[in-house]
Amino acid sequence: MRIAFAGNPNSGKTTMYNALTGRSEKVGNWGGVTVGSKEYQLKKEYSGGQEVIAVDLPGAYSMSPFTPEEGITSEYVRTANPDAIVNIVDATNLSRSLFFTTQLLELGIPVVVALNKSDINDKEGTKIDVAKLSAKLNCPVFETISTEDKGLADVIKTAISLAGSTQKAPYTQADINLHDKAAVDAEDRKRYDFVNKIVADVEKRQVLSAETTKQDKIDTVLTNPIAGILIFALVMWFVFWVSQTWLGPLVADWLVGWIETFQGWVAGQLENSPAILSALIADGIVGGVGAVVGFLPLVMVMYFLIALLEDCGYMARVSAVMDPIFKRVGLSGKSVIPVVIGTGCGIPAIMACRTIRDERERRATSMLTTFIPCGAKIPVIALFAGAFFNGAGWVSTLSYFFGLVLIFLGALLIKGITGYKYRKSFFIMELPKYKAPSLKFAFRSMMERAKAYIIKAGTIILVCNTIVQIMQTFNWHFQVVEEGAEDTSILASIASPFAVLLIPLGFGVWQLAAAAITGFIAKENVVGTLAVVYGLTAFIDTEELALTGGANEVAMTMGLTSVTALAYLFFNLYTPPCFAAIGAMNSEMKSKGWLWGAIGLQLGTGYTVAFLVNQVGTLITEGHLAAGFVPGLIAEICMVIALVLIAKKVRAHFDEQYALHKKTANAAA
Amino acid sequence: MDERTRLLDAEVGKTYRVREINTEDDDMNAFLFRLGCYTGEPITLISKKKNSCIVVIKDGRYNLDNLLSEAIIV
Amino acid sequence: MNMATVIAVIALVLIIFLAVRYIYKEKKKGVRCIGCPYAGTCQKHQSGNSCDKPAV
Repeated sequence: MRIAFAGNPNSGKTTMYNALTGRSEKVGNWGGVTVGSKEYQLKKEYSGGQEVIAVDLPGAYSMSPFTPEEGITSEYVRTANPDAIVNIVDATNLSRSLFFTTQLLELGIPVVVALNKSDINDKEGTKIDVAKLSAKLNCPVFETISTEDKGLADVIKTAISLAGSTQKAPYTQADINLHDKAAVDAEDRKRYDFVNKIVADVEKRQVLSAETTKQDKIDTVLTNPIAGILIFALVMWFVFWVSQTWLGPLVADWLVGWIETFQGWVAGQLENSPAILSALIADGIVGGVGAVVGFLPLVMVMYFLIALLEDCGYMARVSAVMDPIFKRVGLSGKSVIPVVIGTGCGIPAIMACRTIRDERERRATSMLTTFIPCGAKIPVIALFAGAFFNGAGWVSTLSYFFGLVLIFLGALLIKGITGYKYRKSFFIMELPKYKAPSLKFAFRSMMERAKAYIIKAGTIILVCNTIVQIMQTFNWHFQVVEEGAEDTSILASIASPFAVLLIPLGFGVWQLAAAAITGFIAKENVVGTLAVVYGLTAFIDTEELALTGGANEVAMTMGLTSVTALAYLFFNLYTPPCFAAIGAMNSEMKSKGWLWGAIGLQLGTGYTVAFLVNQVGTLITEGHLAAGFVPGLIAEICMVIALVLIAKKVRAHFDEQYALHKKTANAAA
Repeated sequence: MDERTRLLDAEVGKTYRVREINTEDDDMNAFLFRLGCYTGEPITLISKKKNSCIVVIKDGRYNLDNLLSEAIIV
Repeated sequence: MNMATVIAVIALVLIIFLAVRYIYKEKKKGVRCIGCPYAGTCQKHQSGNSCDKPAV
């Protein structure tokens, strides 16, 4: 038996779905968090032993889709024939939600209405006569609070008992010609009249929604073009500061201590064993994986804080305040959401681009969104911040906002290449009511991600580290490389040609090149590989930092200056993301040309940024240009020439293409 | 209140009735309709900024950019 | 070969085997990104949205 969950965006469908199935799908207090359908079995306590599958659908305002993800919903309820529909209605916005409800009721599938967020109504003194509403809609109605599991059992029990029966619609659309726009409009208007009458009958409000409330005063500040952006910067800085300078390292220190003890113990046990075995286990596996796991507390604290931010309703305001800037560079205001999600992981961010209507904007956003450092890049940032910049919180904040700047610049570039023509791009974003973020939810979300992080460290990272360790230990004749002859190892000989290319960037050694390459499998690998090739584990050691004032062991071993370290960090952050994210990009873009363009752009950006940081930084700190300036400059010139050629080619086809695409381009906003 | 004005030029804190919506984009018009923003319905301007404004339609608050608030005649 | 070495070799082989098996299984299930914090959100469900489509 299948029960579909449908309703307006941000009415709490996924929250209810999570409560009923025990899953932890992504939720957030803004419309459009869910962009694909999901299904899972109901918990036993709700299903009463039957096999019941709950289907969570993206939010929709009506059966006629406006954005691609709304289309998923209307198509599902129309064609997949669920046995029952639970219509989640935002009780604080009954007048809008019931429009969709009456459409669902017409399908003939039994509908149960869940009046969600009824706690907010209680607080505001809004009363809804449930019995009357149920009679008028001709279907069962229950008050629910999905964040507190209230009323859920009633809803689901009723839905199960009704499954398979038929629904009598309280309002049926007249038989009209659906191609006649005026007739459809008139019909929709009648439907709204019907809904308005019901609402007037069953709802009593104490606070009129048009009154200016405290929330509006907060909004005035948060969506102010200047204050809003400053506050956003401050909030992000705070998130990074807590997770990477204060609380995160505090816990990490303790954890790293244990990992080191364990590594020491393992090495001790293997004292009499062959050196290769000891190296492979103690350095490769325990050391390499341990280095990555050591950063877990930092990542966990960050995910916890981000979950709180997403839950309170702030994100919708951020997207409102960023919209004008994004529009100026040729992206949509909706591009803000992928960028925000990208802080967690690039893949869902790329998928979230689906909410953007215009194809060019959608592709450009999915191409640029990974410039935002994702959770997997946090260990890399933290490593360099700790080793070279005294654990400064500003490194992450800088990386984040620099990523934003790169998105703007990249968007301008794409705009230039594709010969973007001015087109009306509307922006409308619902501003949900603020709510106190749920600690329980944030904790669950954090634990879920921590689990995933550990799994990743124990599988992909572990295998990669082992391979790196083996490649480092042996040369091409499968003999163990001798001390002092490390450059003859398999790893060194593979990575060296790449390292040569990196000389203008200030880090042309094979160890660093190898780490950057393994980073494409998963960005945490950069940390793991560095740990293996340099034989380091304790990347976070605040005590040592205090003693040596920055010039600690890690920094010494790597032989990087602050400038080249920053260049290397930026190179890793702004080159193409991991292969999985590239795959996601491919399936969202659906165009080989765009995909290769994206990879080229990201490689070029990473290279250019590192080149500039290294050369300019060295010029400032040491008064001369760094090694390899001329070859680097030649490489940059080649990139520019390539860009110009591509732009020419694209523009040559532009006019004919534009003529073909005109219809869709007009329809999109 | 007989004169027609764009929502963009409307007064903050006042509730208007929508007279006309023309975004020159049928899908957008239809989308606004489904939010409850159509001829004859009330719309309240809560605040106004350089590039955007916040309005109340039905019981929801929305951030609209100026392109949209230009297209809504009240 | 002493006892510690034998245990270590067995442990090593076992760990690598389990890790590779896990990766292989996940890949077969269609999970593109092992351990992605959102793996549960976007990968495990075969409900026909584009994240379940093959990568290439």
